[in-house]
Amino acid sequence: MSSIIISTDLLSVGQMIAERTAQALGYAHLGRQILSSVAEKHQVREDKLVAALDEDASFWGLASKNRDLYLAYIQAATLDQFLGDNVVCEGLAAHLYIRDVSHILMIRILSDPKVRANQIAAQQDIPPKRARQLLERQEKRRRRWSLRAFGLAEADPSLYDMVISLSQIEADKAVDILTDTVGYRKFQPMTYSRQCLQDKALASQVRATLVPRFPGVKVQSRDRIVVVQTRTFKRNKRQKAEAIKEIAQQIPGVEYVEVHSNKDFLRQGKDSTD
Amino acid sequence: MAIITISRGSYSKGKEVAEKVAARLGYEVLSRDVLLEASDRFHIPEIKLVRAIHDAPSILDRFTHGQQAFVAYIQSALTQRVLKDNVVYHGLAGHLLLKGVAHVLKVRIIADLADRVASEMGRERVSEEEARTQIIKDDQERRKWTHSLYGVDPWDPSLYDLVIRIHKLMVDDAVDFICQAAGREQFKATAESQRRMQDLALACQVKAALADQYPDLAVSSEFGNVLIYTRTGDRQARRLDEKAKSLAREIKGINNVEIRAGVAVPPNAV
Repeated sequence: MSSIIISTDLLSVGQMIAERTAQALGYAHLGRQILSSVAEKHQVREDKLVAALDEDASFWGLASKNRDLYLAYIQAATLDQFLGDNVVCEGLAAHLYIRDVSHILMIRILSDPKVRANQIAAQQDIPPKRARQLLERQEKRRRRWSLRAFGLAEADPSLYDMVISLSQIEADKAVDILTDTVGYRKFQPMTYSRQCLQDKALASQVRATLVPRFPGVKVQSRDRIVVVQTRTFKRNKRQKAEAIKEIAQQIPGVEYVEVHSNKDFLRQGKDSTD
Repeated sequence: MAIITISRGSYSKGKEVAEKVAARLGYEVLSRDVLLEASDRFHIPEIKLVRAIHDAPSILDRFTHGQQAFVAYIQSALTQRVLKDNVVYHGLAGHLLLKGVAHVLKVRIIADLADRVASEMGRERVSEEEARTQIIKDDQERRKWTHSLYGVDPWDPSLYDLVIRIHKLMVDDAVDFICQAAGREQFKATAESQRRMQDLALACQVKAALADQYPDLAVSSEFGNVLIYTRTGDRQARRLDEKAKSLAREIKGINNVEIRAGVAVPPNAV
């Protein structure tokens, strides 16, 4: 059975569509409720995890190093849930890190901008014009966040199989479209697509374990072989590679670890000027 | 009973989707016909209209407003054709040319660049590099065109009711979704939405009639009461008023015409 990832411009709309779709299909609804267990497992505050999903890193707020760390924890936990299949996921930015898995239906739901503006106007007791300006600013911030955190523009329709606007199409019809579409043959899991998902899940587990000590590592996995990319100085290269291997090899499912260190960029720069 | 506009890039299979939707629903399919009709009605060579709707305005166009006049002719021809409903239009900018009408289902069909390149290579017998360059150039022209005339990006998904990516979902799946959506109550013409469509067609007709002399004016209509918005001074406004009065006698459906000089243009004006 397949799974669905829902991305939305309004969290409450995504939750509502995901809940109704999960109920109609008998699937599990995967949302921000998992953040409490992630927080407990990694001994971090839940509100920091929420902030990492919603806010861009800033001097006064969340540091980019911490944002990447929290997102790595969330990514690992989310991918772990996907291994069980039959999941409808929203609110965990999964559309930005679970890419190229053929049996996952990717949908973006756009709420009615008037409804969003009215909601903001009512919440903050401001005139509609001001609410529309705030909405535009929020959209820009969100775009910046997705580009900086994952290198993708969240609103780009080519990231999804379908984009549905709720301005004219009502939520129930959107749920019908989702429940029908996920039954299509193209969204049925195959050995290869399952393997892709398992590889991503393992890579994200390894990354979540390494990131606290080695921020900025990139991890890929294929058939239990894990490749870790890191930046290092020449003098630390061997020690760092050994330390990474030692940690990664303890993670269940990892058979072999390869560490690729990027060139010593500082020395390279110095040499080129000599 | 609906009007369906299908926006598409080149080689995105949007034309195929449009033709299949029209065949399944028994609707009329429109694309180049609109240009031919505009060409006939306003005595403009078709090639000029094709360029106007395809190429981004040049610096000269921005001063002469020539392209705006051509777009006004095309919009007038399109709105006249869709008045009778049950139409699938897959030409450029249908979602913008028919804005503000509730029973218009706005769809965009997209496809991955690699798939589009492969289609162009197969059809035009060109190399991969040539095909890629041509498609990217086409996309850029269309984005520039829409941005310069309407101030929006045609790739912005919020302009549409449905965006369907032809990759995992096939042409027939897209046809299913569009036909289902078109059957919904929201996209059926009501007396109110039909009246809005008639007002839009009327406003477009007036604008097209004035476009060569006054390319930068805007026109709106409510129940056949036409308002013409202009930035010109009093003297020119008086001349425009005389011209508008004579138009009111020529164009069927106009109850009253008024000129509004120097006031803000409402969003429903064309």
